[in-house]
Amino acid sequence: MSEGALPKEDAVLRVDDLQKSFGGLAATDHATFAVERGTITGLIGPNGAGKSTLFNLISGFYEPDGGTVEVNGTDVTGLEPYEVADHGLIRTFQTPRKLEGMTVREAMLVGPRNQPGESFVKLFATPGAVAESESTNLAEAERILEEFEIDHLAAQPATDISGGQMKLVELARAMLAEPEVLLLDEPVAGVNPTLAKKLKDQIRRLNEQGTTFLLIEHDMEFVMDLADPIVVLDQGSVLTEGTPEGVRSDDRVIDAYLGGGT
Amino acid sequence: MSLLSDPEAAIADLSRPEKWVLGVSAAFALFLLAALLTGALGPTYFLFLVGLAGMYALLSFGLNAQWGYTGLINFSVAAFFGIGAYGSALMTADSSPIAGGFNPLVGLVVALVLAFVLALLIGIPTLRLRADYLAIASLGLAEVVRLIVLNERWLTNGSAGVRGIPSFFEGWPVLSTFPETMPGLRLVVIPGSPILLETSFWRASLNVLLVLAFAGATFLVLRRAHQSPWGRVLRTIRSDEDLARALGKNTYSFKMQSFVLGSLIMALAGVFYTHLNLYVGPGDLDPITTFYAWVAVILGGSGSNRGALFGGIVIVTIREGTRFLNDVALPIDPAPLRLLLIGVVIVAVMRYRPQGILPPQRELIWPSAVDDAGSDPPASGVREQKGGGDDE
Ligand SMILES: Nc1ncnc2c1ncn2[C@@H]1O[C@H](COP(=O)(O)OP(=O)(O)OP(=O)(O)O)[C@@H](O)[C@H]1O
Ligand SMILES: [Mg+2]
Repeated sequence: MSEGALPKEDAVLRVDDLQKSFGGLAATDHATFAVERGTITGLIGPNGAGKSTLFNLISGFYEPDGGTVEVNGTDVTGLEPYEVADHGLIRTFQTPRKLEGMTVREAMLVGPRNQPGESFVKLFATPGAVAESESTNLAEAERILEEFEIDHLAAQPATDISGGQMKLVELARAMLAEPEVLLLDEPVAGVNPTLAKKLKDQIRRLNEQGTTFLLIEHDMEFVMDLADPIVVLDQGSVLTEGTPEGVRSDDRVIDAYLGGGT
Repeated sequence: MSLLSDPEAAIADLSRPEKWVLGVSAAFALFLLAALLTGALGPTYFLFLVGLAGMYALLSFGLNAQWGYTGLINFSVAAFFGIGAYGSALMTADSSPIAGGFNPLVGLVVALVLAFVLALLIGIPTLRLRADYLAIASLGLAEVVRLIVLNERWLTNGSAGVRGIPSFFEGWPVLSTFPETMPGLRLVVIPGSPILLETSFWRASLNVLLVLAFAGATFLVLRRAHQSPWGRVLRTIRSDEDLARALGKNTYSFKMQSFVLGSLIMALAGVFYTHLNLYVGPGDLDPITTFYAWVAVILGGSGSNRGALFGGIVIVTIREGTRFLNDVALPIDPAPLRLLLIGVVIVAVMRYRPQGILPPQRELIWPSAVDDAGSDPPASGVREQKGGGDDE
């Protein structure tokens, strides 16, 4: 299949021969790659290369026309997004999603998965357990907000913070879902350099603590500094994969970017 | 902080719209009291109005649990109300063409089961799809239910409706004979206009008791649900369903729960109406009920339980308060005027206060958790939504 798909012993995510067409357009064209546990893997490619489509296929938002997705060795192809999430895969979106009528703190508390308080019956059957998990989650949310140095935003309406701050909140919230592998779609797009630096540090720190990352990013400096290995996507399929240095000097990659993917 | 233990501090703590609502409510209560004392408003009729207000409050609670919490567009409020009303009427009335004669509690259970099944029937095919599908399907459902009630005479008596419905407390100890055993009272507050409290008054007060029980229980359940992690998932879905899905929430299941819960509450309103009015007919399924419920929720503030309560009371006030128009010689019929008035109110609210009169508090976190974690309560930035500790 695709070249460069080295056999990976400990892959947390494995995409095999994935296909998806919209009308006549093959947005994902026999894509094959794997994300090794413990890495920060970069996913780059020109506009329209199919990066976001790939995220949607992996996370269960789109149903693939062919191929398989494996998370932690389990085939999750065709499962609902919430089921994929239960296997430890969480994703963010390219355009930040704002929660109307919630404070940042509340928006954070949507993060933890399978809270006892999410069961209507338990609200009345075991309110004590609900309160206990809510206070644990609240403490955890505030701890993470502090680590991200955005605890001063906690009481702000989630719709009133800047786009860059929103990106930080999204990352912080995703961490509350305790993912094994976190998919970030353009985490620093439109983010000022100071915040981008902060995001980079956070991703690196979380990675050291055990979270695997797969991230899409157009900011080459950012991605080359942070990610290794890097997977290059062009016209729906994997063009190449390798170290930042290897990818940067690859003529096919340069062609793909200069050619604008057409 | 409660209004009773420390009224001044409690009032100072209210937001501006809350103060406004409190003021208007107090003035309105005084006005009603004056009308009662002068005999302009009969006490029995007054209790009937309280019952109606409770009924509309239930309807708007139900719709709020669907639209306000989750963003589900349900245009068949009248159908669920009608299912509740007919379900209990057909089980309990002497004139019921099918079962009949059962204890009203049986009627209550049957009505709720029917509403539950109907909610599943409409929810299963539509809730996986985009929001507009439920809207369209529910529009159709309302008409289907109305036509079945109108045409299936063997089942519903058709256009004749169902008569001979017992009071809800029939067969209960003490309460079933309470109105008859109470003595007739004659109160003279203002000389020359005595107030008579007779059997019909006591019967009406039982109805008020019933609706207070229904609406009170519903309010408590909703309040807890709304500020829980469960309610938070619903609000996430309303704002951005994909985000909820990406964070591992089974949004289909949550939407179904919200839809079923709201539908059951609407049916509860129908059950109460049956035993209040003691007659149900196909006219009770007219879409106007759906319209009123929507107006009440939007007026009160989508997503807010108190808002729904407030909206329900406003609707009854407008509906019944404009009855005097019947006595005034007007060039046009008062019914459309009433709708016009409601339309004007809605446009004014949308223009000047699009979030409604009493929108939900911004921060909803399981209350005891906030104390446990010892974190400071929500402060700056959400000033307006910061109400007393009492609201949802
Ligand atoms: N839901 C959809 N329906 C139709 N076409 C789609 C859909 N989603 C993506 N596409 C098409 O698939 C192609 C790949 O889009 P995708 O969003 O995956 O690109 P991308 O690599 O994320 O680009 P960018 O860097 O600009 O975000 C594009 O041509 C796009 O128009
Ligand atoms: Mg994209």
